[in-house]
Amino acid sequence: MNARDLVLHAAAIKRHAPAPAIAALAGLPASQAKDELDALVASGRAISANGAYALTPLAGVALQARYGFHFAELREDAKFVAAYEGFERINVTLKQTITDWQTLDVGGMRIANDHSNKAHDEAVIDRLGGLHEKAEPILGALAAALPRLSYYGDKLLAALEAAEDGEHEWVSDVRRDSYHTVWFELHEELLRIMGREREE
Amino acid sequence: MAQWTVLLGGSGLPDCALPDRALVGGKAWSIARMAALGLDVPPAFVIGTAACNAYLGAGHFPDGLEAEIDDGIAWLEAHTGRTFGRGDKRLLLSIRSGAAISMPGMMDTVLNLGIDEGGEAALAAETGLPVFAADTQRRFHELFAAIVPDGPATGSVRGQLHAAVRAVFDSWNTRRARRYRDHNGIAHDLGTAVTIQAMVFGNLDETSGTGVLFSRNPLNGDPVPYGEYLPRAQGEDVVSGKFTPLGLDAMLSHVPQAHAALLEASALLERENGDVQDIEFTVQSGRLYLLQSRSAKRAPAAAVRIAVDMVDEGRVDAATALSRVSAEQVSTLLLPHLAPGASEGAELLASGEGACPGVASGILVSDPDEAERRAAAGEAVVLVRATTSPDDVHGMIAARAVVTEQGGSTSHAAVVSRALGRPCVVGTGAGAQARAGALVTVDGAGGKVYAGALPTKTPHEDDHPYLARLIAWARELSPVTVVRSGIGASPAGIDIDRVVGEGGTEALAEALAGQSAAYGSGLSNPEIARIARRSGVTAMTTDPILPALLVALES
Repeated sequence: MNARDLVLHAAAIKRHAPAPAIAALAGLPASQAKDELDALVASGRAISANGAYALTPLAGVALQARYGFHFAELREDAKFVAAYEGFERINVTLKQTITDWQTLDVGGMRIANDHSNKAHDEAVIDRLGGLHEKAEPILGALAAALPRLSYYGDKLLAALEAAEDGEHEWVSDVRRDSYHTVWFELHEELLRIMGREREE
Repeated sequence: MAQWTVLLGGSGLPDCALPDRALVGGKAWSIARMAALGLDVPPAFVIGTAACNAYLGAGHFPDGLEAEIDDGIAWLEAHTGRTFGRGDKRLLLSIRSGAAISMPGMMDTVLNLGIDEGGEAALAAETGLPVFAADTQRRFHELFAAIVPDGPATGSVRGQLHAAVRAVFDSWNTRRARRYRDHNGIAHDLGTAVTIQAMVFGNLDETSGTGVLFSRNPLNGDPVPYGEYLPRAQGEDVVSGKFTPLGLDAMLSHVPQAHAALLEASALLERENGDVQDIEFTVQSGRLYLLQSRSAKRAPAAAVRIAVDMVDEGRVDAATALSRVSAEQVSTLLLPHLAPGASEGAELLASGEGACPGVASGILVSDPDEAERRAAAGEAVVLVRATTSPDDVHGMIAARAVVTEQGGSTSHAAVVSRALGRPCVVGTGAGAQARAGALVTVDGAGGKVYAGALPTKTPHEDDHPYLARLIAWARELSPVTVVRSGIGASPAGIDIDRVVGEGGTEALAEALAGQSAAYGSGLSNPEIARIARRSGVTAMTTDPILPALLVALES
């Protein structure tokens, strides 16, 4: 992908994000990403509000239409496709793990986890770490085929380690690059690369 | 005298004094403690942390450890009347790591070690359940291969046991465990213990079973034991959800003696530990074995009732009771809910799975950008989508509630709504988006979307019998004065609601620097009260007051 499409792509995944966050996901220098974003705003492909950017609907559709061209090789790459399928399998466990983080099974009923039970929280974070270790070879295989994707593995590890160190917001807070936020962005990235639709 | 291992009681008779928790780890210690209380636990022995350190230093088992493991197995055989790796009544083992401090990255449990081809046949003959025996063998191999990748999957069970012990020792030095210790200032030479326990069979015959008992009801706090029992089943069957567990009445009729022993154990463990217990147990041929007992997780309503009851029963003091109720639990109890009878006669627009509790009303909007725009203009909106993706998060933040047509309780919409605290209903089926434009009320607990804005009721803390008691105790003990808004003189200090309204919570710490008093409804939010508390505020005015009081009492 050229720099313009990379920035469009990153802005589509990291919606309503400021320029530095879009640059990091696109794997471009911050100044270059900012220039591209300004050009996209000037040409009506993106809008900016309070320092955050979003694609206009038409630019989003046009970008989707170019994915088939950009990712044709990856879609045929057996190793990449196998890694993607591995990701989808682990994704089922990830969703259950995050749900177990947010809820407690109390006598057979699911209630909101208010994080007053330390043992439960530690056990779930330990499971998240075990899941991350299972995901590492997959993240490695994805990045081997498309080096830009190493961004996700780095961000996931950083979120996991922050959570392990007791900063629990890094598990699933939606307003930061928590483990769940980055995982879902990677899922979105992979769905776009593969040309698939999200199931739920 | 054993150098590396400790025997942990067995059939109700303590074989040794309570061991040092630092040497045997938390799990072994609690087994020993239950045994010391005279309760039946499956016999076990533990390899202490000294053996772990010797192994990690030398790269092989220290002299004498293998012989002591053999002795431990012989002791388990004598206590259970079973034999390890031979005979027609097989001894199967669980192997668990157990450091004095729990940490991430340590090895998971290996179950059913001791089963092999002959063991499968013996187990099938003994239980009359060939499918179960084959399943046990398969589950063991899966778990063993995942946890001990270089271990002998076939071969002698003794070799497998040694490989599992080495895997536990080695897990002390996984990258995650090392990093955790570095970050938390935990010494690298503490080492982990390994607990080796005989497995009991809840599916051996008609007088066997397995279950979970809470010493009080964990949902509403009723001071009555509450539990589930699954006759002729193993623990994995309960977790799998393939079987519907029965109530304790069923246990009473199947295995009355074990039922009586369980209720006695429940009362004893609750008294000894001074808190509600969650007890895992198995009944093998009519005899009760306790597998684990720990403080029970509980719903908010149960937390407040149990705290007050235990003070009234003289089991704990007020300070302990207050430490067992979180500010968040109280906030949850005070959330608005549908007024009694409000949903009667209301048109049910859609119904699905409740993914995040709470009630909210607003205009149904099917586009996240539109939701954000209309919410910014002051309108209450409810976002409805087929499914959600990261593209929708800004709309979910803006909305009062979220509804999706597809997906279940682990879907993106469910996870994000819970993270945001938005009432959420998922999986309503097609048609919900077509109702965009309608004014609706979402009941996130019941999984319902009603037409119109239904009346809600917000409980008041003073009207709640248990909360009122907690408030009285907390006022006496709190280092912070918390006054209810609207009482007495105009409130002193800084206006929290104005600061949050203008600059968000990020601006709070700065605005509060050097302030000793603050007021505003925002202080009833535990997170905001914590920021104020950390900034040194000692006088708060808000409504309700109990969440702020509990924050003030947090250590």
